[in-house]
Amino acid sequence: MTGNADESASSATVEDRREEWAGPVPVPSGANTEFWAATLEGDLLYQHCEECGTAQLYPRAVCTGCDAVDPPFEPSEGRGTVYTYTVCHVPGEPGFGDRTPYVVAAVDLAEGPRLLALVDCAPDAIEIGDSLEVRFWQVSDEAALPVFVPA
Amino acid sequence: MAEPIVAGVAESDLGATPDRNWLDNAGIATVRALEDAELTLADVDGVAVAGGDDYMPALVLAEYLDLEEPSLLEGTEIGGSSFENFCGHVGDAMARGRADVVVIAYGSTRKTGPGRDRSLEVTHPTDGFVRPTGLFRPPGAYAMAARRHMHEYGTTEEQLAEIAVSTREWASMNPKAAQRDPITVADVLESRRIAEPFNLLDCCLVSDGGGAVVLVSEEKARELGVPEIAVAGVASTSTHRQDISEMPDMTTTGAAVTGPKAFDEAGISHDDVDIAQLYDSFTYTALVTLEDLGFCEKGEGGEFVTGGTTAPGGELPMNTQGGGLSYCHPGHFGVFVLIEATRQLRGDYTGDRQVGGAEVAVAHGTGGVLSSSSTVVLRREDA
Ligand SMILES: [Zn+2]
Repeated sequence: MTGNADESASSATVEDRREEWAGPVPVPSGANTEFWAATLEGDLLYQHCEECGTAQLYPRAVCTGCDAVDPPFEPSEGRGTVYTYTVCHVPGEPGFGDRTPYVVAAVDLAEGPRLLALVDCAPDAIEIGDSLEVRFWQVSDEAALPVFVPA
Repeated sequence: MAEPIVAGVAESDLGATPDRNWLDNAGIATVRALEDAELTLADVDGVAVAGGDDYMPALVLAEYLDLEEPSLLEGTEIGGSSFENFCGHVGDAMARGRADVVVIAYGSTRKTGPGRDRSLEVTHPTDGFVRPTGLFRPPGAYAMAARRHMHEYGTTEEQLAEIAVSTREWASMNPKAAQRDPITVADVLESRRIAEPFNLLDCCLVSDGGGAVVLVSEEKARELGVPEIAVAGVASTSTHRQDISEMPDMTTTGAAVTGPKAFDEAGISHDDVDIAQLYDSFTYTALVTLEDLGFCEKGEGGEFVTGGTTAPGGELPMNTQGGGLSYCHPGHFGVFVLIEATRQLRGDYTGDRQVGGAEVAVAHGTGGVLSSSSTVVLRREDA
């Protein structure tokens, strides 16, 4: 729980990268539609089940803790720690060729869920356990990517 | 409970097969494995196929081989461990009298086949949480898990490299292995960076090729008079799928679940195991699997593999054909661990390449991004 239901208060910056982005873009569908819509406003949502307290991402139409349908979204504080990471020296997707070497991490959000994300930092500037905070790169009309930076 | 018997095994040509497609390689491996069992396509009751760059691969291969009224069609896709998983399904079908001769087959042209270019369009509901990060998969995903293991247990890049070195020693004795020149720990550490902490020599090859395993019922095996290499235990599970961040604990794989189950079913303990053929898509894959199967304590895999424990002459011969790291890796390596385990148990080799008096082998598959695990215990019954 963030204790902060005021979504606007926790919004992070959203940088428009639609022109330059050549990588894959999320295509919102079903249970993740609300998540991606919120990214355009700089909000990182997660699902927090009212019935059982389970916090989960990626978004799903079912609560994996108690089977409830459509567990509600809440805004995350957008802060987390590095569970682990790698530095990619070989581009893993189209559009990443000019970016190598780049950091991808599994980020444990303060609210619990773990998220795979780009980390915008030098390859030697990250360690497991480091604190990160979220930014957004808008890559399409429908979605902005959560990208983390050292806190 | 009746146990299926491995009556024949074979590879197609490996390495680069630019004049073949995946079906050619799967088909050639199939008829070679049948020949090994002294059987023909006319004897085949069914096929179990995974991988293949195709939709409905079991139907496609059954048609390609013109099988007549096949009674078992299996295409459960759980990645590189699919073939170990098939062993259980085929055994169940045989126990119910549904089939006597089933071919487990794989073929690919991962190295020379049609483009690996992927569409920019993301349509899978969860792809949007993975692909836009740019993670180089699968290496980067396994690398993240390896990094976490290093953090928790002090595992080092040198220890990971030991696995590549020992595996290469085995490959040096296998004429079919793509890479046979000896390497050192320093060679691994100095090879090109791929996804930290992995360098090139921590990563499997990319090959074309196929493999096949013929499973027959006990009655059929007696009729054929083949060496009785029995599927004595099988277990499979999964922990996640395409997103490595969904893996609950990146230092423990599903092998921690499947190992004990398969060992129990076979009635064996670690001391009984003569050979381990463990999926080695990356050095870390083999290391974490050794731990999870219980050959050493959790976190001690690095120490365990140091000093040639798994090399020729070591206490636990592992990946004795050179593994995915040095022999071949056409995408789904799981069929090849079954092939090599069978050959060692039959005593097909000579000299240092043959593990003397081997009676029990563990063949383990890993699929996805450390996502699925399947363990098979093979036992020579006439030992
Ligand atoms: Zn719930």
